[in-house]
Amino acid sequence: MNAVIIAVVQVVLFVFLAPVLIGVIRQVRATIEGRAGVGIWQPWRDVRKLLAKNPVRATDSSWMLRAGPVALVVSSLLLCVLLPLVGTIPFALVPSDLFVIVSVMLIGVVALALVGLDGGTAFGGMGSSRHMTVAALVEPTLLLSIYAFSIPAGTSTLSVIVETRLLSPEVIISPVSVLALVALSIAIMAETARLPIDNPGTHLEVTMLHEAMILEASGRDLAWLEVGSWLKLAALLGLVGNLAVPWGVLTDFSALGLAVGVVSITVKVLVLGVVLSVGEIFLAKVRLFQVPELLAGSFALAFLAVTASYLVA
Amino acid sequence: MSGIGAGLLLQLGLGALAVLTALTAAPSLRSRAVGILCTLIAVIGFLTGLGAMLGATGGLRISIALPIDPLLLAPDRLGGLFMLIVSSVGILVSLYSMSSTHGPDASRTAWVAMPVFLVGMQLVPAATDSVSFLLALEIMTLGSTVLLLADHASRATVASAGIWYSAMSQLSFFFILAGFAVLAAASGGTSFTNLQEIEPVPANVAFVLLLLGFGGKAELVPLHVWVPRVLPEAPSHVSAAMSGAMVKIGVYGGLLVSVRLLPDGPAWWGIAIMVVGGASALYGILQASVSSDLKVLLAYSTTENMGLVFLALGASMLLRGYDAQAAADAALVAALLLAVSHAAFKSTLFLGAGAIIHATGERNLDRLGGLGARMPVTAAAFGIASLGAAAIPITSGFVAEWMLLQSLIHGGRLDGAVVSVAASVAMPLAVAVIALTAGLALLTFVKAYGIAFLARPRSTEAAEAHEVPPLMQLSLVLGALFVLALGLLPGPIAALVAQTVSSNPSAAVQSVGLGGVSLPGIGAVLDPLMLVVLSVLVAIPVIVSIIVSALRYPHRTVELPWGGGGSRARPRMQYTATSYAEPLVRVFDDVLKPSRDVQVTHVAESRYLVERVRVEQRVSDVFETRLYRPVLNLFQRYGIVVRHIANGSIHRYLSYSFVALLIVLIVVSL
Amino acid sequence: MFENIYPQLIGLCAGALLLTSALMVWRHSLLASIRLLALQGIALAALVAVIGIAEGESELVLVSLLILSVKGIGLPWVLAYQSKASIKQIQESPRLNPTAALLTVTLLTILSYVVVSRVFGLGDSSTGHAAPIGLAMVLIGFLLLISRRRARSQLIGFLLLDNGIATITFLTSGGVPILLEFAFSLDVLLVVLILHVFAGRMRTKFGGTAVDQLRELHD
Repeated sequence: MNAVIIAVVQVVLFVFLAPVLIGVIRQVRATIEGRAGVGIWQPWRDVRKLLAKNPVRATDSSWMLRAGPVALVVSSLLLCVLLPLVGTIPFALVPSDLFVIVSVMLIGVVALALVGLDGGTAFGGMGSSRHMTVAALVEPTLLLSIYAFSIPAGTSTLSVIVETRLLSPEVIISPVSVLALVALSIAIMAETARLPIDNPGTHLEVTMLHEAMILEASGRDLAWLEVGSWLKLAALLGLVGNLAVPWGVLTDFSALGLAVGVVSITVKVLVLGVVLSVGEIFLAKVRLFQVPELLAGSFALAFLAVTASYLVA
Repeated sequence: MSGIGAGLLLQLGLGALAVLTALTAAPSLRSRAVGILCTLIAVIGFLTGLGAMLGATGGLRISIALPIDPLLLAPDRLGGLFMLIVSSVGILVSLYSMSSTHGPDASRTAWVAMPVFLVGMQLVPAATDSVSFLLALEIMTLGSTVLLLADHASRATVASAGIWYSAMSQLSFFFILAGFAVLAAASGGTSFTNLQEIEPVPANVAFVLLLLGFGGKAELVPLHVWVPRVLPEAPSHVSAAMSGAMVKIGVYGGLLVSVRLLPDGPAWWGIAIMVVGGASALYGILQASVSSDLKVLLAYSTTENMGLVFLALGASMLLRGYDAQAAADAALVAALLLAVSHAAFKSTLFLGAGAIIHATGERNLDRLGGLGARMPVTAAAFGIASLGAAAIPITSGFVAEWMLLQSLIHGGRLDGAVVSVAASVAMPLAVAVIALTAGLALLTFVKAYGIAFLARPRSTEAAEAHEVPPLMQLSLVLGALFVLALGLLPGPIAALVAQTVSSNPSAAVQSVGLGGVSLPGIGAVLDPLMLVVLSVLVAIPVIVSIIVSALRYPHRTVELPWGGGGSRARPRMQYTATSYAEPLVRVFDDVLKPSRDVQVTHVAESRYLVERVRVEQRVSDVFETRLYRPVLNLFQRYGIVVRHIANGSIHRYLSYSFVALLIVLIVVSL
Repeated sequence: MFENIYPQLIGLCAGALLLTSALMVWRHSLLASIRLLALQGIALAALVAVIGIAEGESELVLVSLLILSVKGIGLPWVLAYQSKASIKQIQESPRLNPTAALLTVTLLTILSYVVVSRVFGLGDSSTGHAAPIGLAMVLIGFLLLISRRRARSQLIGFLLLDNGIATITFLTSGGVPILLEFAFSLDVLLVVLILHVFAGRMRTKFGGTAVDQLRELHD
């Protein structure tokens, strides 16, 4: 029962938080660059506007254009349900197993790639192809960093991992955990199409991954695609936040703990959003064919993390 | 006579009847009549296999004139499981072939070979001694070769594929024969029960030989070279049977060796199997991901999947050696689940490819597109099977891969201590290999489905496609349902599968919740149905809001909403399968070594204006060009030399025989 | 308290050493490599200091100060002794592509782990478990020496190799006598200075220090 309450709270919280996070990221960037910015509520206004429009669809597009956005949003919402964001009380039959979480995320990746192909234009296919290439190359980093996290806790269940880190904080500064966290962060940047893998701010063909796929979508199709991507970013930032700074997360159910959990995860996500935004100012997008190099680097880090866990036992 | 024996006998009888029917029936009735008989054979095989897997004993004893033990066909639980796999694929293929075959594929020869092939595959897992095993293996190979060659008259590529297939399958057969011979010599009997208690040296020799032989049957690198030639050229229902069922015989052989015949091998056996499996998985999926030919793609992906099965098998052997029993059992069950799920999704995919060829005559993805609207049933079945192949949740592939990963990450340690250096190096590497394989498989099947079924048709054939006949649809839907059932109810299935290999199955795998699976020794739980329930719960608000907004703001349909910036975007300008894989070809340039040929034709007036650019890119099989070509060239040179010895003169041949006879007599008398 | 976090600190220092070595292979720019080398020197000094405090040997703490001054500050300063503007331009174009190099690094780490555990046994102490990292650093140093074209980038590989040797000695035997370490550090400093001057001369004379192109300088 407690698990259900936490899941509902997480879903509701992140549905409200995700657009705000995007607003904050954009506003911070605008402020640092000396622009006025549009305020942190603009993503909300965008979604409302898009939902009240008649979507335009191509005659040759199939049901994928309708189902894909739903699949993306559902996969992102499932992330919010399964990840230990506010509290670490999992469902008994569907614990927050990291392998399951990665696969749930991949449902969204696949849905987006298929939406990109469904438009029947060169742009959509290009974005889809690049997106899947990056997704394929990120996979080893993701799974190996999961492996590295699972070693101190003895399980790949994320809520147990977070609790272990809460109980013995010295694990957090161990080389295994530091390397794995860095590798996981690079992988998440790649998965959520942020700099330096993709530039979320441009519509220039040579730099596009994510934007290219959603060019043909409009109206509510576009709105749900955007919301799904935002939710994914927010949930994954929340995961990084809870792995790096597990304090504040709810372990024993209580009303006060729930409130603390909500506040702490909100703060963590927004702080990470600001860090991300400031960090992106100093980064340029790397060339597409240098992305594998970056991913190989993150893979090496994840691999060293696992090996180091056997070395420094 | 026991039920199992009766089932086997019934299959043999039905097989003979089917061969007779194929020989005598009128061409118009042939497909229907023999198809029904083949379906019956497969159904009987299914029941027999089910009985054997649930623990029924008994079998069929065939006395022979040779001075060896009589042949005994009595499947154990593991054999029953593989009979079940093979016959399930058999049912799908038989139903499908009834309405898919026409022309040379429906010839008398082809229909005679079909029941022979099916019965042969059923008998291999039932064999309990090496003689009947090899006999059944040869029957199976014979049937499949004839089926493959059905269309050899009209297409040259089929004949070349047939030669490769015969050569490679006989090579595998030779290795298996040699391996069994070594075992029989060391233990003094041909029955599998005798083949225990063997000295290390013959055991090592036999292990290497059998691994090579069964690796060749299971399409592992570097013995996979027949796969990308044979599976695409065979009629699609035959490719489905070969990839879905026949390669499982290779897996069965691997399990037979590692679980029953030589269970307590040294650590390097496990590592050797893991290396071969890992290399096959990576190489197979890499070739699949850059292939534009749908059936070549599926063929290479078979190599990948079998590689994963052997990787799991090797991991299980390695871990068993270090007493990490829970992880070893989980890895073994994962290997079996991978085999089962591969049978389901790969046969569906091949049948789907057959449906596409049936409807368009094309198997080049670059010329397909937009089939989703024209062939909805095929699209749905192919889509579900693709999800299975890409190991996405709620399909069969995902559960198996999840279980394998769980066993690997828990395998390096036992009670918090490192079990061994080998395991602690092998496990992370295996996880990395599986991860890259899974990632590339995702890309491969997004490409296969997206390019073929979504977007706009890239050729007139694709634009004029129609849905296939109902019987073909039926078998496609059945296959897709198998994939979903295995993915949604993994618990009971995994528990059943665990019984076939584990002495203490309930310690290895248990069924929990709504068909969920739990690994008690490792402490991991997965319940796909609960996942579905959760996703339905979160999807309801989204879908309701979409329906509400669809009622208020209906969509507009235009020819192209944005069209890449202009209305001139013709279907030809879409991304094709080749361009889809282009970034990957560049990334893995060093491994794939593609050959590129760019020809620029300039306009006559100016060198700065281009009239035409022709780009050709070919990715060939590195193993074929680097490993087999030199060997074949060597053979050819040897053949030219030998031609002088064998010049066609009958007298010379007779004198050779005479000299040989003399030598034998002299040797015997010494 | 210190006993509790001692293994973590050793692990953290060893992890930092390994991480900086891997990053040196990853990054092409010379300036980044020099900064990483400085970081590595600091991590090595910290490692020695931690061991010294744990075993209560003041001599080791002194050695750590020495290492900090030579490897953390001295050598990097010497290497970077050139105007920052020109050094930023220097980009290495290695003979091995970076992706392959990074994968090689992971394989070398595994190899050193296997070798150390097979040949010497890992022992029970946390320092023993960290020892393979030293060997991995030596191997990665060799990799840099082989794969880099420029003389100064190769120098960095050489220093990485030296750091690796130092790590092995400190982790396995608890350190070398201070006098020996002092002499050795001076030696390395001298070698680096000579090579550095030499590289500078070569550059002024031939316009580059790409070792590949220097094959035919017999006389």
